[in-house]
Amino acid sequence: MATTLDRPSSDNAIFAAMEPHDSGNFANNNTPLIRNCWYAAARTHEIDRTPLARKFLGVDVVLYRTEGGEPVAMRNRCPHRSFPLARGTLVGDRLVCGYHGMEFGADGACAHLPAMGHAPATASVRTFPIVDRGPLAWIWMGAPDLANEALIPDTHWLSDPAWGTVSGDFHILCDYVSMHENLIDQTHFPFLHPDTVGTPEYARSKLTASTENGQVVIRRELRDAPPPGVYGKPANIMHKKVDRTSEARFVSPALHTAYARVAVGDPDPGEPGLYRYNITHVFTPETNNSIHYWWFNSRDYRPGDAAIDRFMLEAHTQAYSEDVEALQWINEVVRTDGEEQFDLSFAPDKPGLMARRIMHRLAMAEAG
Amino acid sequence: MQDKYLDAVILARRTLTKRITEFLIAAADGQPLPMAEAGSHIELRFGGAGDRFLRHYSLIGPLAAGAPREAFWRVAVRREDRARGSAFIHRTFQPGTRLRVSRPINAFRLSRRQPHTLLVAGGIGITPIFAMARSLLTRQEAFSVLYVGVEQAQMAYVGELAAMCGPGLAVFETGRQGMPDLKAVLSAQPADATAYVCGPSGMIDGLIGAGAAIGWAPERIRFEVFNAAHRPEDQAFEVRLKDGRAIPIGAGTTILDALEGAGVETYADCRRGECGLCTTAVLGCDGALDHRDRVYSAQDHARNRQMTICCSRITGRLLELDL
Repeated sequence: MATTLDRPSSDNAIFAAMEPHDSGNFANNNTPLIRNCWYAAARTHEIDRTPLARKFLGVDVVLYRTEGGEPVAMRNRCPHRSFPLARGTLVGDRLVCGYHGMEFGADGACAHLPAMGHAPATASVRTFPIVDRGPLAWIWMGAPDLANEALIPDTHWLSDPAWGTVSGDFHILCDYVSMHENLIDQTHFPFLHPDTVGTPEYARSKLTASTENGQVVIRRELRDAPPPGVYGKPANIMHKKVDRTSEARFVSPALHTAYARVAVGDPDPGEPGLYRYNITHVFTPETNNSIHYWWFNSRDYRPGDAAIDRFMLEAHTQAYSEDVEALQWINEVVRTDGEEQFDLSFAPDKPGLMARRIMHRLAMAEAG
Repeated sequence: MQDKYLDAVILARRTLTKRITEFLIAAADGQPLPMAEAGSHIELRFGGAGDRFLRHYSLIGPLAAGAPREAFWRVAVRREDRARGSAFIHRTFQPGTRLRVSRPINAFRLSRRQPHTLLVAGGIGITPIFAMARSLLTRQEAFSVLYVGVEQAQMAYVGELAAMCGPGLAVFETGRQGMPDLKAVLSAQPADATAYVCGPSGMIDGLIGAGAAIGWAPERIRFEVFNAAHRPEDQAFEVRLKDGRAIPIGAGTTILDALEGAGVETYADCRRGECGLCTTAVLGCDGALDHRDRVYSAQDHARNRQMTICCSRITGRLLELDL
């Protein structure tokens, strides 16, 4: 029996044919995290002279700012006895460990070891490339040689004074893959977000999905329909029929952007008639099953209008809270349910699967 | 995280009728197999040089009610005329043959809360129906079975089914009796009955049509189409991709399988024309599209702009796809 159970030789061509193909692989919460990518680490104002501990891609990091104002990201673990360096003190540009007083400069090199009286050349702590860009600081947790700042994704509208931007953040107990799939899946809008973005007309409008240079883009056009409250109320166009063009884009493992362009055919006198909203979802895996998430909603009219800001903040906080809650429920089931399930997919799930396939490929390329 | 697929081995084969052979399949490492509910199927992947196959086979389970759980999976394969997949299995699968099979998938779930169940099998469609009959009997639920075939000699498991179901089984031989009057069959059911049907698509359509004609709500007829992708008259053709590559589609292979084998990036889930994920835009065809899915309407099909490549084919020789 043992011999018949061995893999047959070449005269039996059954085997090559029966392996499933790699193209069937989609990232999920167990896929190794993609490391060669710029991720948001914090809002720039959060990084200051008080060391801040935060975990990215499973690695404990401490963030602080030098006296010259440069952000520093350093492993939050003394190389001597694993004391969390964020619990130490910042003296000048040096982080001083709270256990034995080892001092580390902004480059991670040990500058002083009190018990020895000098700085051992062998002692240093890993630092990570980190760059301020608009409201966020971006960190590179992957191979340091590949940390090209030109690869930091464009989010220039977030610091453009012509745009009015509201923003919020969440720490979510879910995987970043599900978050990406949630953001590029709009078929859930009418059910999870019935009061904000989920108009029935929108759910039925035709959608095109494509991949462009490792990004996934979905586009929709909806003509001559009432605007959803979240866009129509702040622009004061709820009494109008509008044409709405929208795009959602998986930009990178760290970023999903979307925009909506709302055109009013017969604008009231003095009103613009064309409104654009940019939605920016930035998130970073803390672990395989938790993420740091920052969202921004920007509009190209009436920046600084406090009433609009308040409305936008409330409406989007509600919608995103619904996503957060749903994603946490799902992640808990996936992690704890003892009986395995292979989720079904249907035609409208293709954009999400496209993004998950890209993520799987990126993860495997790094692992290989 | 479990793999969806596992290595398996053929334990035994047994001839049931002239065309139908039963195979017993176990895990190659001797470990217990995952549980399979009535109505479940497995995907079998196999093939030879120049051809690859992916087929779904329902898990039949023990051949008597009350029998202990078996350490193997039981499937029955009918050899179709000119259909290469089933012929390949009949020709090559022997005790000891290694396979790659999926874990059980239940796409034809038997509800546990029905006051009365009518099971309808056409030909080899008996395989999931047998498992359902055993489940209903074990749970002492009210049910009856209509088993339709050309003649008893060509129908698998008639004896075992009769032993299980007694007078609840009606065997209908179309060779002698012609086609059954499905409207009459449904009309004779209790008002709260739900029907489960597995068989050729013509028979399923017939039952759905009969139900509609006598005012049954559509959800009272549950069905599983077997072999949606494969018909004896299928011909080989070629798919041309946007980059100019030409992929031959063997008569016994689906477009999807051939493209996957050639390393083309595709999306698919159910592989039987139900989920729509594999829908692909058609750029050109020198014949007619032969739509076999149940996702799109007849009007959608008539537009001929797209097709489900897991099961649909063409009548011509060349198909150009937006891939």
